[in-house]
Amino acid sequence: MNFLRGVMGGQSAGPQHTEAETIQKLCDRVASSTLLDDRRNAVRALKSLSKKYRLEVGIQAMEHLIHVLQTDRSDSEIIGYALDTLYNIISNDEEEEVDDVEEENSTRQSEDLGSQFTEIFIKQQENVTLLLSLLEEFDFHVRWPGVKLLTSLLKQLGPQVQQIILVSPMGVSRLMDLLADSREVIRNDGVLLLQALTRSNGAIQKIVAFENAFERLLDIITEEGNSDGGIVVEDCLILLQNLLKNNNSNQNFFKEGSYIQRMKPWFEVGDENSGWSAQKVTNLHLMLQLVRVLVSPTNPPGATSSCQKAMFQCGLLQQLCTILMATGVPADILTETINTVSEVIRGCQVNQDYFASVNAPSNPPRPAIVVLLMSMVNERQPFVLRCAVLYCFQCFLYKNQKGQGEIVSTLLPSTIDATGSSVSAGQLLCGGLFSTDSLSNWCAAVALAHALQENATQKEQLLRVQLATSIGNPPVSLLQQCTNILSQGDKIDRRGSKIQTRIGLLMLLCTWLSNCPIAVTHFLHNSANVPFLTGQIAENLGEEEQLVQGLCALLLGISIYFNDNSLENYMKEKLKQLIEKRIGKENFVEKLGFISKHELYSRASQKPQPNFPSPEYMIFDHEFTKLVKELEGVITKAIYKSSEEDKKEEEVKKTLEQHDSIVTHYKNVIREQDLQLDDLKQQISTLKCQNEQLQTAVTQQASQIQQHKDQYNLLKVQLGKDNQHQGSYSDGAQMNGIQPEEIGRLREEIEELKSNRELLQSQLAEKDFLIENLKSSQTSPGTNEATASARDSEQIAELKQEMATLKSQLISQSVEITKLQTEKQELLQKTEAFAKSVPVPGESETAKTTDVEGRLAALLQETIELKNEIKALSEERTAIKEQLDSSNSTIATLQNERNKLEGDITDSKKEQDDLLVLLADQDQKMLSLKNKLKELGHPVEEEDELESGDQDDEDDEDEDDGKDQDHI
Amino acid sequence: MTYAYLFKYIIIGDTGVGKSCLLLQFTDKRFQPVHDLTIGVEFGARMVNIDGKQIKLQIWDTAGQESFRSITRSYYRGAAGALLVYDITRRETFNHLTSWLEDARQHSSSNMVIMLIGNKSDLESRRDVKREEGEAFAREHGLIFMETSAKTACNVEEAFINTAKEIYRKIQQGLFDVHNEANGIKIGPQQCISSSVGPSTSQRNSGDVESNSGCC
Ligand SMILES: Nc1nc2c(ncn2[C@@H]2O[C@H](COP(=O)(O)OP(=O)(O)O)[C@@H](O)[C@H]2O)c(=O)[nH]1
Ligand SMILES: [Mg+2]
Repeated sequence: MNFLRGVMGGQSAGPQHTEAETIQKLCDRVASSTLLDDRRNAVRALKSLSKKYRLEVGIQAMEHLIHVLQTDRSDSEIIGYALDTLYNIISNDEEEEVDDVEEENSTRQSEDLGSQFTEIFIKQQENVTLLLSLLEEFDFHVRWPGVKLLTSLLKQLGPQVQQIILVSPMGVSRLMDLLADSREVIRNDGVLLLQALTRSNGAIQKIVAFENAFERLLDIITEEGNSDGGIVVEDCLILLQNLLKNNNSNQNFFKEGSYIQRMKPWFEVGDENSGWSAQKVTNLHLMLQLVRVLVSPTNPPGATSSCQKAMFQCGLLQQLCTILMATGVPADILTETINTVSEVIRGCQVNQDYFASVNAPSNPPRPAIVVLLMSMVNERQPFVLRCAVLYCFQCFLYKNQKGQGEIVSTLLPSTIDATGSSVSAGQLLCGGLFSTDSLSNWCAAVALAHALQENATQKEQLLRVQLATSIGNPPVSLLQQCTNILSQGDKIDRRGSKIQTRIGLLMLLCTWLSNCPIAVTHFLHNSANVPFLTGQIAENLGEEEQLVQGLCALLLGISIYFNDNSLENYMKEKLKQLIEKRIGKENFVEKLGFISKHELYSRASQKPQPNFPSPEYMIFDHEFTKLVKELEGVITKAIYKSSEEDKKEEEVKKTLEQHDSIVTHYKNVIREQDLQLDDLKQQISTLKCQNEQLQTAVTQQASQIQQHKDQYNLLKVQLGKDNQHQGSYSDGAQMNGIQPEEIGRLREEIEELKSNRELLQSQLAEKDFLIENLKSSQTSPGTNEATASARDSEQIAELKQEMATLKSQLISQSVEITKLQTEKQELLQKTEAFAKSVPVPGESETAKTTDVEGRLAALLQETIELKNEIKALSEERTAIKEQLDSSNSTIATLQNERNKLEGDITDSKKEQDDLLVLLADQDQKMLSLKNKLKELGHPVEEEDELESGDQDDEDDEDEDDGKDQDHI
Repeated sequence: MTYAYLFKYIIIGDTGVGKSCLLLQFTDKRFQPVHDLTIGVEFGARMVNIDGKQIKLQIWDTAGQESFRSITRSYYRGAAGALLVYDITRRETFNHLTSWLEDARQHSSSNMVIMLIGNKSDLESRRDVKREEGEAFAREHGLIFMETSAKTACNVEEAFINTAKEIYRKIQQGLFDVHNEANGIKIGPQQCISSSVGPSTSQRNSGDVESNSGCC
């Protein structure tokens, strides 16, 4: 009960008990009352108790409320109360109302309560599905609390609720419809719901984007007045960020949907001093961050560079630069704008070139770069702003040889502005490097190092820079001046951490000397430098100095590793002996290891942006950590190698290099041939493809031709038949829908009937004759007259009978004949009518012939046409055959070429094999040399033996390179 | 780049049939031999030309695994076209077509154009499903049919473009409500229906099916 009391605050035991009973009664009413009104009132009462007695109501009423949602859907009022109550139970949003003394304690408890009730609610997945379906209800009293409840559930147990929504059909899509709600409250709370829904769930983010979220949100932002809009704009921007951050697919969609263009108006804030409300600052901040999400250095390179291009093309970068140079912009907006510009230009030549051309609207106009650098070396500027400028400068120089050259050139004697009327970037950097502010020292050193990054030319150029120290004294070189300051150790006079100054200078020197033997020679030429370094490394100093010791070791290591032995006193060998004598190899390597073991090292190696919580953390530069990674191993190895080994290795290296170059040459040849082969294969497959295509076309056409032939034959046959018809029935009765067969049949019938009648008539005649005969025989008397006559009369009667039947038959037949004749007449009339309608004047006979002739002509025409078509088709076919032949011959040539190439490859493979044998020999030799060495007692490292045998790996690497390039 | 219409497509079918490769071949004109499982959904876009009109295709490549089915279902409603892909060297991927089709029919708008694709036509020697079977299935279910190879690019353009043509035809017949974006169709910016009929002034050269018909 302690827990309960905590939640219920200052309630005494008595009323608490009563309230619990009341809640129980209300629950009973909700559960058992048959009257809707009654249930509704009970739910409303529960709602009013649910804030104050959250636990009680939650425990007792949850299942009843869910039941109401299931069964009382027809009454939006009761559903609304139920949703409100559930919201009060589950949400922690109202916590500020708890005015408890143990505020913090109670807040934590109420948070527990929220997530526990959420867990109970979502245990039945159908409850979430039910809630989703309630959101389709348009009624405000249902939809609004529904949105709020679902938002609360998502805030409490995001991943679980997201998963349920994801698997319920159209779950996510339906929630998207909230953005289209005309009631602003619902639309705005819909945005909040979608924020919670999309939080760190890539699949949901993609579906929401697919459902046109970008378009809708950008529309809302525009409608609300961009950065001048209220909190809705802020909410939309947060949702956009949810959708885009670390989601490559959505970023690509955003870019492809041309939505970057729609961001440009966001930054049209100009110079106008219309005031910067807190909301506007927040909005702009989020807008800038959204730009950065699209061009983050951690995105795939191809994705970032295409967004960078789009941002230049649509003028967004230009707009950002306007803010950069505007006055009255709040410092944090300015800082974030600088960071944003940095990432929009980073590694993108076009954008970097544009940035170099931007001028500040001062009189006379100064380059933006110069104006920014002024802030970087100005102690009075905020720390974060100075870091941002450094980042911007770094991004401007990243993969930008041209920019690096321009910066370094402002320091060279030939180009320095003699009048001194305008300050240059180089001058500002030198000023920063040697100022009395250690942060400026660090920033300037790192900035200068970035002007040298991966650029051997500029490393050499910078050696020419001379500085005038004080009047009367001769100028000193920049390199010299750096080492001079370094050698003062912590005796230098600086504001801020002196360590920072020295670390900055050491990083600059390491970058400068690496991969640049001439710079190493210059450095070693100053005889004070090596003793200083060995002294620093050898000393047993406190933890503070360990990092400086490590950097000194790195610098000395670089002086050995990139030493071209051009100085007698500081040849590789001598330096190594020095280390052995003064420091000890182990000790040296341990000190070297201090760098990468430093706690801030890994932090800096993660992201290019110099982002430090406070000035003390400003120790490592991102690019420098890359250099350390690259050199730590090789320097350690170099230190441990003996001089003889070194020499031998050098020799072996030379011969190996020779062999290597031969092998590389052949590898290249093979690679080229391979490419050619692939190309040819591709061609062959395309040709095959084409060939198949043509063959199908030929087959198709052949079958078409056959069809046409068949049709033609059919027509020919029909034509013949028609001609016959024309011959036998000159009335052309087959026209106009009357079937000639029918007429023929009718005629035949008539014929038959006629002959029938004739037969009957001849029978009749016979009978008549018989009767006559009998009559005459009657008149001659005889003995058997009576019987005979009796028989006769019988016969007569019979005959008469027969005659009667015949007669009736005859009559019916002649009726039929008449009918048929009239039918025939009708038919003839019809035919005649038709014949008349044929527009050929003159006698009917000629008309008919003309008609027939016409039709004949038409048919002939058709036949000719068909013949032509057939001809055309066969021509086409011939053409295709020719094409086919030519492609076949091309294929043959290609096959020949291919065979030849394959021969070539076999040859070069043979050569390669020979070379491999040679290499094996070489290896053998090396091995024996090593054995000899071993016999002599020198340790031999196994790794070196393998250097010649890794052809396959190298090939793989090449392939990978190719791929990456493709990607960019 | 302005366009007359924008069509949304999805690519569906069992895992490993070559959906992602088809998309890559269509948008980047390259083939990736390494099988890289699609997690959820990837996106690609390209412009094509149909009847002298610029049409922007936005294509969502889905994951074929059963566990992602419910995610894939969310994409049907908003798509104007779907490429339903099987692998001609694996019969089971053909056998599963019915279930894919059921899903698509149940969750999409009735006008969604479905193109059936038998992919990997370059692997003729390993063929396990006859072209005629694909044709018959398509006929029976009222789909368009093509065999493609994401590897050699054979018919890939055609598959995407013919789908677009069919959608375009349906638009002209008034079967699609082009003003409802939920159908996966959008009219280009500064474009109205009346101006979208008639020859386009654009001369951007993208694949037109008329000039290079089937090869598989
Ligand atoms: N030979 C050949 N292989 C293909 C073709 N399309 C895809 N593949 C291969 O099939 C595998 C699966 O392809 P993928 O696009 O990842 O399939 P998804 O799961 O459907 O996206 C990959 O190893 C591809 O290299 C094709 O047309 N021909
Ligand atoms: Mg895939």
